Amino acid sequence: MNEPVAGIALAVVIVGLALSTFVTRTSFLLAGARLSLGARIEVALRYAPVCTLAAIIVPDVLMHGPHTGVDFSPLNPRLIGVLGAALWLCWSRNILGCLALGMGAYSLARLYL
Amino acid sequence: MSERRAAFRLGQRAILHSLPGSAAWGVVSGVAMVKGGLAVPWAIMMSLLVYAGSAQLAALPLIVAGAPLWVIVATGLITNLRFVIYSAALRPFFVNESTGKRAALGFFMTDFTFTVFMRAAQDGSLPARDQDAWFAGVCTNNWLTWQVCAISGIVAASYVPTQWGLEFTGTLALVALVGPSLNARPALIGGVIAGVIALLAHGLPFKLGLFCAALAGITAATLTDGWQQRPPAAAGA
Repeated sequence: MNEPVAGIALAVVIVGLALSTFVTRTSFLLAGARLSLGARIEVALRYAPVCTLAAIIVPDVLMHGPHTGVDFSPLNPRLIGVLGAALWLCWSRNILGCLALGMGAYSLARLYL
Repeated sequence: MSERRAAFRLGQRAILHSLPGSAAWGVVSGVAMVKGGLAVPWAIMMSLLVYAGSAQLAALPLIVAGAPLWVIVATGLITNLRFVIYSAALRPFFVNESTGKRAALGFFMTDFTFTVFMRAAQDGSLPARDQDAWFAGVCTNNWLTWQVCAISGIVAASYVPTQWGLEFTGTLALVALVGPSLNARPALIGGVIAGVIALLAHGLPFKLGLFCAALAGITAATLTDGWQQRPPAAAGA
């Protein structure tokens, strides 16, 4: 395990992330007619966030903790928490309820399982 | 002048119903930043400069794991790619504004403010003139709400014991963001493939597994989308 990014390196990361926000948000507003997206590229851009976030969420839930390898056990508190949150999302988009149910299920699983 | 101010006020009012969602997101990203391991001043700096909850939450585990800088920034960039599409959609409305104004309106555009603007443009509640002032009103209220809540979350989180596991709220917030978009089949297939490859490729150095997974997912989603668009009769041609 590497050391967390800190100090100057962290400042560089923050500035880099800020630039990535600025460049993407202002791209077409500033470059305007000089930019054009092919239909394929536009489709790919549309799905990029979902796929990236899924690639972050899944290991974060299934490979968390001291042990190595995938923890598919039904006793994995993070898995239980995400299932709780997903269940909520099936009938409501309200993010507060999603967080409350997910954290509740996660905390109960950590305390009692 | 007073007409512009009236448009600004109308914009401020138009975003009111979205502010609770924005506030919740702000608090969660603030709390998750600190509980994920960032010191309070860094977390505040990140909130003020980056102002993109999903990119911040995506970058956080990589920062904590000590991933190479370019991997962290590139991950934030891919998470932000949706803004390129938003930016293209907004362009026709602001074509005649000055460069500085377009840059400013772009920087303050988020998922919430973009949605409010496009909805107003569709249902006709967008004023015919001073649309830039209207959108500035929308963005001002959203920015203030998000920053106040994020910084409150950052400061409050430093008093909460780590054992509460509050850093998990960051993961849950990403689930809330991704969940509804999995309704469409290409997104679902792309998401599942990205998730599976992320598990398989987790051992790759420099956290490169994340990239392979995202790229595979994006490719799968784009191909699925292409097949869906093609009419069934033409599929064999």
